[in-house]
Amino acid sequence: MLNNILPVIRKELRSYFNSPIAYVVTVTFVLFCSIWVFYLQTFFAANTASLRSLFGIVPLTFIIIMPAITMRSWAEEKKMGTMEVLLTLPFRESTLVLGKFLAAALLLLIMVGLTLPLPLLLARFGDFDWGEVVGQYIGVLLLGCAGISVGLFVSSLATNQVSSFLVSLFVLLVFTLISQVNLVFSLPILLARVFSYLALGAHFNNFQKGLVDTRDLLFYVLVCALFLYLNVKTLVFKKW
Amino acid sequence: MIEATNLGKRYGALEAVKGVSFGIQAGEVVGLLGPNGAGKTTIMKILTCFMYPSYGTATLNGCDVFTDPLAIKGMLGYLPENAPLYTDLNVMEYLDFIADARGLVGSHKAQRIGEVIGECGLEPVVYRGINTLSKGFRQRTGLAQAIVHNPQILILDEPTSGLDPNQIIEIRQLIKRLGQEKTVILSTHILQEVEATCNRVLILNEGRIVAQGTTEQINRELRGEVILAVTVTGGRQPGSTLAGLSGVREVLKNEPAGVKPGREAGANRFQLNLSVDPDSGVEERLFDWAVAEGYRIVALVPQRLSLEELFIKLTREGGANAQ
Repeated sequence: MLNNILPVIRKELRSYFNSPIAYVVTVTFVLFCSIWVFYLQTFFAANTASLRSLFGIVPLTFIIIMPAITMRSWAEEKKMGTMEVLLTLPFRESTLVLGKFLAAALLLLIMVGLTLPLPLLLARFGDFDWGEVVGQYIGVLLLGCAGISVGLFVSSLATNQVSSFLVSLFVLLVFTLISQVNLVFSLPILLARVFSYLALGAHFNNFQKGLVDTRDLLFYVLVCALFLYLNVKTLVFKKW
Repeated sequence: MIEATNLGKRYGALEAVKGVSFGIQAGEVVGLLGPNGAGKTTIMKILTCFMYPSYGTATLNGCDVFTDPLAIKGMLGYLPENAPLYTDLNVMEYLDFIADARGLVGSHKAQRIGEVIGECGLEPVVYRGINTLSKGFRQRTGLAQAIVHNPQILILDEPTSGLDPNQIIEIRQLIKRLGQEKTVILSTHILQEVEATCNRVLILNEGRIVAQGTTEQINRELRGEVILAVTVTGGRQPGSTLAGLSGVREVLKNEPAGVKPGREAGANRFQLNLSVDPDSGVEERLFDWAVAEGYRIVALVPQRLSLEELFIKLTREGGANAQ
């Protein structure tokens, strides 16, 4: 099944980097991270050798960034009619979905990788706990992958990029912040637990502190698996 | 090679294809002919496993569209309507992706890409972005994509739509050449296209096959009736002597032609539309008639049935099946 996934990944990456989208998203993200850390969070004044403040804001930026990366993946294929070319090539639906997912994940990796100079340069001025930094980066990648799989699924339902972007932005906004509802209303304990379990953002709290908890890890993996599965089912269902 | 049994497709309340059955032998070039909305594209989408039929089934080379789509996709080349392409890639990147997806590797891949670039005349645009290509080059890129893996079966949805006359001739010649070793299905709403490229025709209307047969059979069917549009000048309106000419079946139209601006007024022009027996030498008798009656023939144009007239004729005759 995986023997012909490489062409899909390569084609998706070419599409990303032949169009402005990859550059715009990457530059925006890296620029925002730097401004946030140094200017808004006054990193040097805080005098703490930790990137917690940076990773605290990442879930919120991903609410916008992930829909921007994934909005075109299926919606544009449908609009341009290339869906007909793609789906009549000898690929399984699962190969196509996984290929698009991995291509977006690679873009995420590049984007997040470009923030690495921050800790590497700052390491000269303070004693970073590198275990914490590694944990934080693992968390960011997992959170991003979950966002990508949601965005891809929404894109497979949408008919154009804009609606795909707005709907996945809305879905991610709700699922990132749903645990905040508990702070405002006093909900039945069961409902409150469900909300905080479903929150994409809440599962990031441990990662933000550099803790890799298998429960959080499993949660993100399950979210990816669920939405990728739904994406495959959507493709098959559309054949009817 | 291709076998469709009672194939049907509903889009909600609309039934686009209504129980179509046909068989296509290996090596045939078959045209699906019909007006827009006849169900040509839907049939192609089913055969290429892009969508399932609502009822009935189809097999290609013994592989069923429901159970074996991967095998079918592997042996097909498909040019969808309007040749959709990835506009953010260039021609080379696009063909490279398709060749990879088709499982071509190494020097064989490079060789095949080179060959199709030559066959489809894409040399001038190899490294140009697809979004900058003209309609003709886009269509040819789409065709190159469909044949890069040398498929046994080629399915082309309106391969010449939107092209200029020279490009149409080129593409038709290419299809003819491909048809010598492959099974080709192409769809069109142009009658001449089928005559120029296909050796068999399925004529579709409103989701049903209204006629099928070889191009010769269909042609003979059509030859049953030829319309001559004749313009004559003379003093008075032509009379009943016209209908008495042997070979003239019916005078469909006999009326003064409008005087066009710039033409000298006074010369009375009459437009005659005659239904005549084909190959009966009626044109010569018509000339003699005009001389004898004091008319001068200024135009004589044999008219073919348009596709619409053909459908009216075929459907009225209860779907005369030539096969």
